[in-house]
Amino acid sequence: MKQGSGVMAAAVKSLLGALSRVATPSYGAAVTAAAAARMSQGWAPLVTSVRHRYHWQKMEKGPLLRNYGEKEPLHNKGLLPHMEHHKRLPIPLFRPKNNWAEKRALFGQNDYIDILGPGNLHPTKTAYSVPAWLRGFKGNEYQMLLRKKKIQH
Amino acid sequence: MAGALSLAWAVTALRPALLRQAFRSLSVTAGRNQETGAAVAATNIDSRKSPLILDEKFTDSNSIVVPREAWIETLDTNAASTQVGLIHLHPEVFGANPRLDLIHDNVTWQRKFRMVNYAHTKVRSEVRGGGKKPWPQKGLGRARHGSIRSPLWRGGGVTHGPRAYTTHFYMLPFSMRLHGLTSTLSAKFAQDDLKIVESLDMPSDEAGYLEQLCEDRRWGISVLFVDDSDIMPRNITLASDTLGHVNLMPVYGLNVFSMLKHETLVLTVAAVRRIEERILYHLRRPDLPKENLKKFTI
Repeated sequence: MKQGSGVMAAAVKSLLGALSRVATPSYGAAVTAAAAARMSQGWAPLVTSVRHRYHWQKMEKGPLLRNYGEKEPLHNKGLLPHMEHHKRLPIPLFRPKNNWAEKRALFGQNDYIDILGPGNLHPTKTAYSVPAWLRGFKGNEYQMLLRKKKIQH
Repeated sequence: MAGALSLAWAVTALRPALLRQAFRSLSVTAGRNQETGAAVAATNIDSRKSPLILDEKFTDSNSIVVPREAWIETLDTNAASTQVGLIHLHPEVFGANPRLDLIHDNVTWQRKFRMVNYAHTKVRSEVRGGGKKPWPQKGLGRARHGSIRSPLWRGGGVTHGPRAYTTHFYMLPFSMRLHGLTSTLSAKFAQDDLKIVESLDMPSDEAGYLEQLCEDRRWGISVLFVDDSDIMPRNITLASDTLGHVNLMPVYGLNVFSMLKHETLVLTVAAVRRIEERILYHLRRPDLPKENLKKFTI
């Protein structure tokens, strides 16, 4: 009996081989094996592993690497772009201002010197860092230029 | 001595002309005047047996608000107690209606009036080049242009960009600034952020001493000490030098922005009386409308 089934399977296989020179898929082998088994008594199912890994293992490996050695111009991973060739990041570093530096801590000092002082000074007269023709004046561009000419020359 | 001090201040409050004369003779950078009563009181910290009660009646004020009462404290932790006396504050200065809109206007004014914008862009006539017509008007099939620096072109001038030295100067009306000060002082007092201190004399010149003192008395993260003169005692100057959030100011430097920036405002007795005198003088002067309309020219 066993010999007979083996002969049958071999005959079927050779037939298939004659039909197509391409390597037969395992499915085909399983089909033929099943067919052969059906013909004979005492059938034992043939277990063939089709895939060698689970889907999560495939995903873990990552996408298929194409164009090996080529640098990808777009950044598609992570929160910040990668620093390559010491280029600056598009978002600048956060540098908090020192709110208690002297100029900020004492901002507005002497603005009420004409009220709380002896009365001979006005806040416009204490603006030393501002150019002379700009102290206590506001106008459009033409008026400012006229004033600058008048005071500077 | 306490009685003499309050009497002296009562006299000066009733005779503003006298006081005006006195202050006119002083320059802005007056040195530490050892003649003031507060200074005399300060030197006698340890020798005082009775508390310093400065309860002025303010009889010349027609305010319906009663005088505000505040503790006089001391910066000397070696003293028997933190409180050294009691002071009455003028209701028109420290008990005024806290106008939030006036405070806002004052802060905005302080921020803006000093600002100069130095941003500058070139107009098409100022950009280098662009005098020649790039190509003939007709015949080429291209758009017609007269200059390569017109605002349409890349690298051309900016039409309505910022022009250098733009100032945002304006002056708030005098009474608005005056009432801004009274509102802020009243608000500070009402919220328990105003402390009166005898003088700025401290036993130690270490920053740690000052920090510990402010922490023990829950005087807020930032403290502004205001005294009458602009030369402060050595110890407090050294202690606050390294601390950015503790600052010293003379009375003429006081302003709404600083009062709001610092959480706690600490005034000396002399500073309180000077502020009261100055603000009351301006509140009662008859020529205030003229002051308002005066234009400031250089």
